[in-house]
Amino acid sequence: MTVASGTAAPPVAGRQGNYAGGVTRLVAFAADVGASWGIFTLALAGIGFAINLVTGKQVDLASRQILALIAIIIWEFVYFAYQWSLAGKTMGMALLGIRVVATDGGPITPRQAVIRTITLPLSFLLLGLGFIGILLNKDRHALHDRLAKTVVVYSWDARAARLRWLAKQEPTKPA
Amino acid sequence: MSPLPGASRMEQLVESIAERVVNLVLDAVDINALVAQIDMDAVLSKVDVDGIVSKVDVQKLIDRVDVQAIIERVDIEQVIQRVDIDSLVEQTELGTIIARSTSGVASGVLDVVRAQGVGLDDFVARWVNRILRRSSVDWPAGPAQLITPTPVAVPSMESTP
Repeated sequence: MTVASGTAAPPVAGRQGNYAGGVTRLVAFAADVGASWGIFTLALAGIGFAINLVTGKQVDLASRQILALIAIIIWEFVYFAYQWSLAGKTMGMALLGIRVVATDGGPITPRQAVIRTITLPLSFLLLGLGFIGILLNKDRHALHDRLAKTVVVYSWDARAARLRWLAKQEPTKPA
Repeated sequence: MSPLPGASRMEQLVESIAERVVNLVLDAVDINALVAQIDMDAVLSKVDVDGIVSKVDVQKLIDRVDVQAIIERVDIEQVIQRVDIDSLVEQTELGTIIARSTSGVASGVLDVVRAQGVGLDDFVARWVNRILRRSSVDWPAGPAQLITPTPVAVPSMESTP
């Protein structure tokens, strides 16, 4: 086997691989917050129901504020770090068609996923200034992206979506 | 008028006699017994059904049928109630078609949402660049590994030993 001098078609189609913008990232994050809180609330209710079933005692876990706060922090860490290290995207990111990759475009490592998850709150704690880089930087780096050496790119195949749309339009055209 | 005098009265007489005779014969004959003796299979076997059908102008026959009137007389709801949908879905690929169309709708909605997101991203980026009075033309679209075309490995034309 030899490597030809010619080049193949780009490995990406449409906007695939391009740096993702702030609006898509914001909507994906909002979807993730909703999803993680929904799952957390359901899990709390399920655990409370199970305790009630076994012991017969009514337990309201949400009323124990410190315990609930610790639980939500651990849960949010697991939610984001696990999904980023596993597939480079969370549920919200998958929905919006974006993913996290290393700065060179390679897959994100579990270490980077953990750093990104830990430093994500920093971007909020600095009055949201950590996110300003998404709008201003040429590689759309947020603070937690810079610290974890990651970037967010579109993984959605816009060209394939266009073809799907055209395929749907074809049968409705008059003869 | 008949050329012979009295012929008309003769004809009437003959007709009345014939009528009387036929009635007497019909009263005397047991039609059912007569029909029962006929071998219908033998009779039908001699009938050339194909020949008859070939002489029928089906198109003309269809043209005379009032399909609308027939449809109006059909109780569609009753027909639908008699259809076993579960069995129909099991026996046909309707399930697959429904699943495909459902996933098609879902992917269509996702495409729209994502396209809107990309559009808004571009809109915001354009305005930020306009406010900061800068151009993003020379900026990389994405990470090098995802944007730069990669060389293709093709089989060598040289003969292998």
